Amino acid sequence: MLKSWKLKEVVLMSLFAIVFGIVYLLFVHLSNIWAGIIGPIAYEWLFGIWFIVSIICMNIIRKPGAAVLSESMAAAIEVLLGNAVGPRLLLSGIVQGLGAEAAFAVTGYKHFNLAVFMLAGAGSAVFSFVYGYFISGYAALDPSFVALMFTLRVLSGMIIAGIGGKYISDGLLATGSLRGYAIARAEKGDAGA
Amino acid sequence: MPVHEPVFSLKNTHFRFPDDQENILKDLTFDIFPGERAVISGPSGCGKSTLLYLLNRLYPLNCDGILSGSIRLFGKRAEDYAPGEINHRVATVFQDPDSQFCMPTVEAELAFTLENLHVPFKEMESRITDVLSLTGLTPLRHAVIQSLSGGMKQRVATACALIMKPEVLLLDEPISHLDPLTAKQFIAWLDGLQKQFGLTIVAVEHRLDLWESFFGRDIQLDADGHILADQRFAPRASVKFPKRKTALQTDRSLQVSGLCTSVNGKSLLHPLSFSLQRGEVTVVAGPNGSGKSTLLKTLCGIYKSSGGTVESDGIGYVPQSPEYLFLTQRIKDEIAYSGSSSPKEIQDLMERLRLTDIQNAHPFAVSHGQKRRVAIAAMLADKRQVLLMDEPTSGQDAAALQALAQLIAERANEGISFLIVTHDMEFAAAVADFVLLIKDGSLTGKFVCEELWANEELLASHHLLAPKGVKLRAESFA
Amino acid sequence: MRNLLHDMNPSVKFIAVALSMMTIAFFFNPWTPLIFWMGVLLFQVFLSRLNWKVWALFMLPFTIGAFGYLWTTLLFGTETGGQIIWSFAGLDITAEQLETALSLSFRVLAFSTLSLMFAFTTDPVKFIMSLMQQLKLSPKLAYGIMVGYQFLPVMKDEFTQIQQAQRLRGAVEEKNALKRLLDMRRVLIPMLAGAVRKAERSAFAMEARGFTGEARTDYYQPIRIGRIDFWMSALFVLLLAASCLGGIWLS
Ligand SMILES: Nc1ncnc2c1ncn2[C@@H]1O[C@H](COP(=O)(O)OP(=O)(O)OP(=O)(O)O)[C@@H](O)[C@H]1O
Ligand SMILES: Nc1ncnc2c1ncn2[C@@H]1O[C@H](COP(=O)(O)OP(=O)(O)OP(=O)(O)O)[C@@H](O)[C@H]1O
Ligand SMILES: [Mg+2]
Ligand SMILES: [Mg+2]
Repeated sequence: MLKSWKLKEVVLMSLFAIVFGIVYLLFVHLSNIWAGIIGPIAYEWLFGIWFIVSIICMNIIRKPGAAVLSESMAAAIEVLLGNAVGPRLLLSGIVQGLGAEAAFAVTGYKHFNLAVFMLAGAGSAVFSFVYGYFISGYAALDPSFVALMFTLRVLSGMIIAGIGGKYISDGLLATGSLRGYAIARAEKGDAGA
Repeated sequence: MPVHEPVFSLKNTHFRFPDDQENILKDLTFDIFPGERAVISGPSGCGKSTLLYLLNRLYPLNCDGILSGSIRLFGKRAEDYAPGEINHRVATVFQDPDSQFCMPTVEAELAFTLENLHVPFKEMESRITDVLSLTGLTPLRHAVIQSLSGGMKQRVATACALIMKPEVLLLDEPISHLDPLTAKQFIAWLDGLQKQFGLTIVAVEHRLDLWESFFGRDIQLDADGHILADQRFAPRASVKFPKRKTALQTDRSLQVSGLCTSVNGKSLLHPLSFSLQRGEVTVVAGPNGSGKSTLLKTLCGIYKSSGGTVESDGIGYVPQSPEYLFLTQRIKDEIAYSGSSSPKEIQDLMERLRLTDIQNAHPFAVSHGQKRRVAIAAMLADKRQVLLMDEPTSGQDAAALQALAQLIAERANEGISFLIVTHDMEFAAAVADFVLLIKDGSLTGKFVCEELWANEELLASHHLLAPKGVKLRAESFA
Repeated sequence: MRNLLHDMNPSVKFIAVALSMMTIAFFFNPWTPLIFWMGVLLFQVFLSRLNWKVWALFMLPFTIGAFGYLWTTLLFGTETGGQIIWSFAGLDITAEQLETALSLSFRVLAFSTLSLMFAFTTDPVKFIMSLMQQLKLSPKLAYGIMVGYQFLPVMKDEFTQIQQAQRLRGAVEEKNALKRLLDMRRVLIPMLAGAVRKAERSAFAMEARGFTGEARTDYYQPIRIGRIDFWMSALFVLLLAASCLGGIWLS
């Protein structure tokens, strides 16, 4: 899969993973404290934050694997930060990334618009929820409560990760630093058409 | 392999960046043979670095550039190599010291290189030790690269290139961040190396006077990207600057007392005090890693001082890596950002620093020398009373240096004070009223230029060489 | 003794930790995670050098989080019927409910402790190198992450440098806290733009050093699997078995 990737694309993913790894970590600590006060539901409406890097990287690089790899890398970076929640995150990072990746794969890696990004956010949410259901034992909770958690998470994925991801990558595109990446080429192609 | 097969062979090569209409490099045809020492020169922004990037095959693949004509490397078409493959035989030292490392420490970077070349484990240790002692970097073996000074990084980059035992060495202004003595040693040492291993050396350089008769071949590009001349190399004279009249005024514009800095518990700057008067131009000089950049960063508040005070009428700053300053998408906007200069003044600045042609380009997508001039122009347009410049002279061609000296002289006459870090003593001799010497993080003192040039011992202990102009004059008196 | 966890091969440790978590997740009795948690704590006390102050600091938010699990599970746990052991403000809590609530909270504590143990005893660089050497992670990815990791401290500096440079250029700082939060975009976008450039240059540097992305033949610092790893894995399996069986037996 990585054969067709340019080295600079791999490194770009890694550096974005760093920036967002730091952001993620901030939110982990923040929501842990909230979780103490209002319970695990505290994580739910913020959950979209943790999916954002996969959408941004996929939007920039537009190659199969960009979502799952970047999300896993961000998780790995959190582990590397030496103080994160550690290996658990690596697994959940991979699962979340796969969720977003699935959405892009379904659309054949051909469309990169807001709707697809929101779908990807929702994909991450669904995958990560299934994983969380197992690892954190949601089975022990009341089904209606679980349903509420699920809805919140999907909404958060669609809004924070989907819309937020688009907003940030558009801002970045405007700086002109993305020339030489697929997103800039597509932009030019659109203008030409 | 026939003995005289060229290392690089270009035939009618044109190149342009995907966003441009016009080619950057036009109709280049030349061969470079094994063991040659060629220098590529030309005005800043003419495409020299781009040409090197074509020779080590980083372009066109990595920038989606459009290439026509043929480039053959060791007799094989450039596009037939896999990324990174040709780099086992061709080593490169890039222009910007900040941008050429991928591992945390010096040792790791060297080891990474060896692993790429599939060097057997048994050999690695000895090759690392050897190259470190060859380049005088043994004490820095475990140093974190990101915490080194600009000049030291440049030396590490050279060590990384040499450890590959390459057949070809590509150097992009390798001495522009080195202190004068180290630069001289570097050239001597490169000379020895070339003789010993029969390396092919292709260098990009503006300051040819420092290289004396090192090169054998001289490839000149013109501003359009054509080959202007391809000839035997003849030693050059150094850039001439008109001597500036001092514009010192009596009142102070910057007062520094007891200033010191430490980063992560390491003391980088020991308490130092000095002052600048209005209209004063002072050059800061000293060996690589002595703390010049640290001083400037502390003065303008990028590093927190750990003691002492700075009083000033408003400080502007041009960093050693200019990219930090850039806030906007276009060079024109970047220079006009502060709004303190009239459109006419901005127009004038851009013309004199040769930025008019690229005024609509993105500040990040221009050549190294151009970036530096953009930062300088932006700061000059900002009209602060005190201007700190970190190596504004590195990577500039003769015309740009003269324009810069001229601009500094004019602004000094208007009462603006300058504190300029530079390794270029010709430039220092032309513009400076005083020289601040720094060594190992302490201030040696503030000297009047003429006194300093006469004091060989002081110069040598700070890795400096008297400017040639001054030397010649002294010799003619003797 | 105190260096055993530190000396363990990072990949082996990682697999041990991940497998333990997967296994424990199948148990909903309070004893299994409790025993496991205690075991991990003992590991940490006897087999690692640890700064307990720092550890406590990192554990604190997780402890608070575990408490959140406790009371939400009590409140929103599935209806189970059975003996009511405690009644409060119209809410009935059954023994079974309490058990699952405790189980989930202990699980949070056990997993957090386990994760922290991994994080505190593993050198990040060695972890990546080991992933590449033992688990055959693609060198392109492994070194990509290494480059990112190398920029970590730089990014922190960059953050302040961008702010300082912008101030120097006369960009005004917002007083209002909310506006300042939105203003983060002004720093985040340049940070990301900087990251794009750094990525490009680092990739150039790697290529210029002859990096082709193919596997290497020799490593300068090979990371090996040794006897320690065998014994330590055995220890983990033992603890896992003890907590699973103990849990079944006690409940
Ligand atoms: N990534 C890029 N995209 C578009 N244009 C570029 C890019 N990099 C450089 N340029 C343009 O190409 C030209 C040549 O740049 P190059 O860096 O090769 O110049 P140079 O001769 O090395 O100059 P200097 O002496 O200042 O380093 C410049 O006019 C620059 O504006
Ligand atoms: N962030 C940092 N952390 C640790 N050490 C640092 C840091 N920044 C600089 N140093 C050290 O401080 C010393 C002075 O660095 P500085 O960049 O000021 O040198 P300089 O005089 O500008 O050198 P050059 O001429 O090579 O640019 C160097 O030894 C460098 O290693
Ligand atoms: Mg250049
Ligand atoms: Mg410096």
